[in-house]
Amino acid sequence: MNLVQQLINGLVLGSGYALIAIGWTVLLGAARLVNFAHGQLYMLGAFLAWAAMSQLGVNYFVAVPIAVLVLGLLGILLQGMMLRLVMQQNLTSLMIVTLGFGYLFQGGAARIFGGNPERFISPLQSAEIRFGDIWFTWQDVLTLLCTLLLFGLLWLVLNRTRLGALVRSVAEDPKLAQLFGINAALVYVGVFVFECAAVALGAGLVAPRSPILTSIGFDEVILTFVVVVLGGIGSVGGSLLAGFGLGLFTALFGALVSPAYTTAAAFALLLGVLVARPHGLGARR
Amino acid sequence: MKNVATPAALILAAFAYFVPSVAGGAPVIYAACTSIAILAVMAYGADLILSYLGEVSLGHTIFWAAGGYAASLLAVNAGWNGWQTAGAAIVVSLVLAAALGLATLRTREFVFSLVTYAAAVVAMEIAFNWPFLGGSDGVVGVPPLELTIFGKGITGAGDAALWPVAWALLMLTLLFIQRFRQSRLGTSALMVQMNPDLAQALGVDARAVRFLVFVASAPISALAGWLYAYQRAYVGSDMFESYFLVLMLTAIVIVGRRLLLGPLIGTALIIVQQTFFSIGGDGDKIVLGTVLAAILLLWPRGLVGIWTVMVRHRMI
Repeated sequence: MNLVQQLINGLVLGSGYALIAIGWTVLLGAARLVNFAHGQLYMLGAFLAWAAMSQLGVNYFVAVPIAVLVLGLLGILLQGMMLRLVMQQNLTSLMIVTLGFGYLFQGGAARIFGGNPERFISPLQSAEIRFGDIWFTWQDVLTLLCTLLLFGLLWLVLNRTRLGALVRSVAEDPKLAQLFGINAALVYVGVFVFECAAVALGAGLVAPRSPILTSIGFDEVILTFVVVVLGGIGSVGGSLLAGFGLGLFTALFGALVSPAYTTAAAFALLLGVLVARPHGLGARR
Repeated sequence: MKNVATPAALILAAFAYFVPSVAGGAPVIYAACTSIAILAVMAYGADLILSYLGEVSLGHTIFWAAGGYAASLLAVNAGWNGWQTAGAAIVVSLVLAAALGLATLRTREFVFSLVTYAAAVVAMEIAFNWPFLGGSDGVVGVPPLELTIFGKGITGAGDAALWPVAWALLMLTLLFIQRFRQSRLGTSALMVQMNPDLAQALGVDARAVRFLVFVASAPISALAGWLYAYQRAYVGSDMFESYFLVLMLTAIVIVGRRLLLGPLIGTALIIVQQTFFSIGGDGDKIVLGTVLAAILLLWPRGLVGIWTVMVRHRMI
C-alpha cells in the first residue's frame, strides 16, 4: 500500500462526503428537519446533469448548473408542500414524508431514465496528474476546490451577514424569531432549497467517478449522516473536518482491511461515537 | 360492549380464514391473501414502535430479514423443521433487537431513526457480502414448511398450502397487539410518548419502556420474514430493500395510527393495488411513495381522519 496515495484518496473521498453532506448539516441545524430523500436527490442531481448532456447536448460545465437549478426549484416545491408540518415541527411525520418522496423519486427516475447504468462523464475525470506512482485527476482537484469554496462562503454568510443571522435566530428559537418579525417559513424554504441545490452540486462533481443507476443514493445518506453527527449537528466547520476525517478513514480501511465493508465500518465508528457521547448529538432540547 | 367484542372478533377471525376460498380460490387470490397476512404481520412489528412509542424505526427490515435468513439457512443446511426455525427466528431477532436497542437507548427522534436506518443499510451490506449468509446469491431452495404436532399438521409449499399458517400467524399477532395495548407496558409506552414528564412523575422508567417495546416488536417482524422465506423458497439481501420499509410505514399511516386493524387494512389496500391494479414495478413505487407522502401531508391522521372531519362537518 502506498500511504501517500491513500492519503490523497482519503482527501478526495472526504471532500466529496463533505460536499454531499453540507446541505443536510444546514437543514438539520436550522430546521431540525431530516430529509431521507437526500440520497435520491443526489441520484436525481446526477441523472439530471447526465440527461442535460445526453439529451440537450450541453457540455458538462453547463449541465451541472442546470441540475443545481432544477433541484433548487424542486426544493421550493417540496418544502412548500411540507411547510405546514415544518411549522408544527411534526418531525415524525416529516421524516416519513421525505422517505415517501425518496421512494417516489426512485420509481419516477427509473420510469424516466430507465433501469440501465449510465455513464455520466466529466471531461476532467480522464485528465490525470501523476507524480511518480502517485496520481489523481483534475476532477478531484475541482471537487476539492469547490468544497473548500462552498464551505468558506457558507461560513461567511452564516456568521458575517444579516441573512446568516436570520437563519441562526430561527434555528435557535423559531417562535421567538417570529415574534421579532422574522419570516421563519421563508427561512425554512431557503434552507431546504440550499440543501437540494448543494446535493445536486455534490452529485455533479462526485457522481462521474462511477456509472450511475437510479437505485444509487443509500450509501450517500449513511455517509452524510456520519459526517453530520461526527461534525456536530449544524456545525459547518465540523462537517468539513468530519468529511475529511471520514474520507481518510474509509480510504485507509478500504486499503488495509476490506473495501466491501467500508460503509459498515463507518457506521461502527458512528455507533462508537453515539455510545460514548450521546449528549450533544441528539435533539437540542 | 366487552361481551359483544370477543364473539364478534372470533366471528371476524373465522370469516377471514375463508376469504380466499369465498373470493374464488384462484392461485392469484391465495397468493394475494397469504402475502397480505405475511406483510401485515411484518408491519405490526414496526407499528408497535411508530404507534405506541411515537418513534420511526427504519430498522425493522433487519428483523424481517433475520427471520427469513434464520429460517432458510437452518432449513436448507441443517434440515430443521418449521417449529425449530420459527424458534430460531425469534431468538435471533431478540438478540439483534437487544443489541440495536441498547445502542439506540439514549437516542431520540431523528437520531433514533437515522441509527436504525444506518443499521439496516449496514446489515444489507453484510448480508450481500458475507458468504455465510449466501452473499449476493442469497439462500436458494428453501424446502416446504414442515409444521406438525404428533405427525399431524401442515407440510406445504405454495400460497394455498401456507395460507392457514399465514392466517394463524396474523391472528396471533392481532391477539398479541390487542393484549399489548391493554398491558402495563403498552399504556406506559403511550404515556412516555404523550407526556414524558407525567410518566417520569409516576415512576415510569422511559428508557426501560422504550427498550422493552423495541425488543418485543422484533419477533413479530421476524416471524413474518420466517414465513416469507417458505412462501418464496428463497431469501436474499433484497429483504432489506426500501420496498418493505416503505410498505410497513405506509400500511401503518394510511388508515390511521394506533388502530388495531389499521396496518392490516393498509397492507391489504397496497397489495390489492399491486396485485390487481399494478402499473409496473416502477409505477407501483410512484404510487406507494405518493400515497405515503400525500396521506401525511393532507390527512396526518390517515383515512380515519378524513372520516372524522366529514362527520364533524355533517357530510355523512
